Amino acid sequence: MATFNLDITKEHCPMTFVKTKIELAKLQKGDILNVSLSAGEPLENVPRSATEQGFTVLSVAETGTKGIFNVEIQK
Amino acid sequence: MATTIKVNGQSQELAKPIPLSELLILNRIEQPDMVSIQLNGEFVYKEDYETLINDGDEVDFLYFMGGGNSITN
Amino acid sequence: MEFTEEQIVRYSRHILLKDVGVEGQEKISNGKVLIVGAGGLGAPVAFYLAAAGVGTIGIIDGDTVDLSNLQRQIIHFTADMGKTKVLSAKEKIAQLNPDVKVNAYQDLFTSANAFELIKDYDFIIDGTDNFPVKFLINDACVLAGKPFSHGGILRFDGQTFTHTQGNVCYRCLFNSPPPPNAVPTCSQAGVLGAIAGMLGTIQAAEALKYLTGVGELLTNRLLSFNAKTMDFRTVHTRRSPRCPICGEHPTVTTLIDYEQAACDILSHKNNS
Repeated sequence: MATFNLDITKEHCPMTFVKTKIELAKLQKGDILNVSLSAGEPLENVPRSATEQGFTVLSVAETGTKGIFNVEIQK
Repeated sequence: MATTIKVNGQSQELAKPIPLSELLILNRIEQPDMVSIQLNGEFVYKEDYETLINDGDEVDFLYFMGGGNSITN
Repeated sequence: MEFTEEQIVRYSRHILLKDVGVEGQEKISNGKVLIVGAGGLGAPVAFYLAAAGVGTIGIIDGDTVDLSNLQRQIIHFTADMGKTKVLSAKEKIAQLNPDVKVNAYQDLFTSANAFELIKDYDFIIDGTDNFPVKFLINDACVLAGKPFSHGGILRFDGQTFTHTQGNVCYRCLFNSPPPPNAVPTCSQAGVLGAIAGMLGTIQAAEALKYLTGVGELLTNRLLSFNAKTMDFRTVHTRRSPRCPICGEHPTVTTLIDYEQAACDILSHKNNS
């Protein structure tokens, strides 16, 4: 079970989830992807969309930088 | 005796069971050569057009299309 | 398959779909579809398959663009009149999506070239307007084991089904072509232009479903619609044991070039 990182803080929806999906596609089942994203639309959409499409959101937490969150998604 | 059938998904009332050949005339199929017929999901070939249509039967007329069809709906 | 940043954005709406994703887009981008006929049906099919990023699109048509085509063959524009349809189509596809490789065949689809043409493609689209070639496409695909989408339109109606090996084929439904002048052809009876779009886009969707494996294809089902009422009907059909090509005792074992309707030949001749 490996862990990977993805930074989509500069992306706008829906490219946020598109990029997340593309990274998740590269992972093996059980692997974890730590996604850094911005508050607002990305935070509203990415965890929800990931769950809808069958991935497991393990955690959502604000990072040290205000407005930047880390979403832990397991394939 | 009242006979209710379906033709192309629509209900049709007949006075009594009639042969398929008569059903074609009733539905104003002027060119029976241009139509394929399914009765209750099975194809019926020309030699069997005297088959009687009974209560509850479902008939589908399949038309040649993409080339032409003189049958108006 | 590695997509560029640009391709990721271009195909983002496919990638977002749970049923497609980047894996599905890879299948589309590696896919090869042959469109027989660059007319009413072929035009919307070509546009949507190109937009989707189908890797290789083959288009075969022997005609040139005629003014009367423009009412429904939306891949051809006014300035294209007199140009071969396959060239006109190829140019628009290149503008829409440069990712797509287009094989343009300025030719008729006949018994002489059918097998050679279809062999390199994953899926074939019947975008033709005449029965002889519809039967030819069916026969070639059935004999070669290729899947295809049958399509036909007239006046306000459209009809389509998808054939995959072992399932209903065109000859199960219609034994053989009608005699050449038995029925009016499109050019005599007329067609509402948008009907071509209605039917063609269904065919494009079937091709994309085939490539990605999503959903259920229109196999063993004949979908027809009447645009006047907007009634859509599905008739369930089954492979016929008496089918002359895929039945228990096949009589059609080679390809046949049936005679074209006289008015069709004339209208095609006038176009060139």
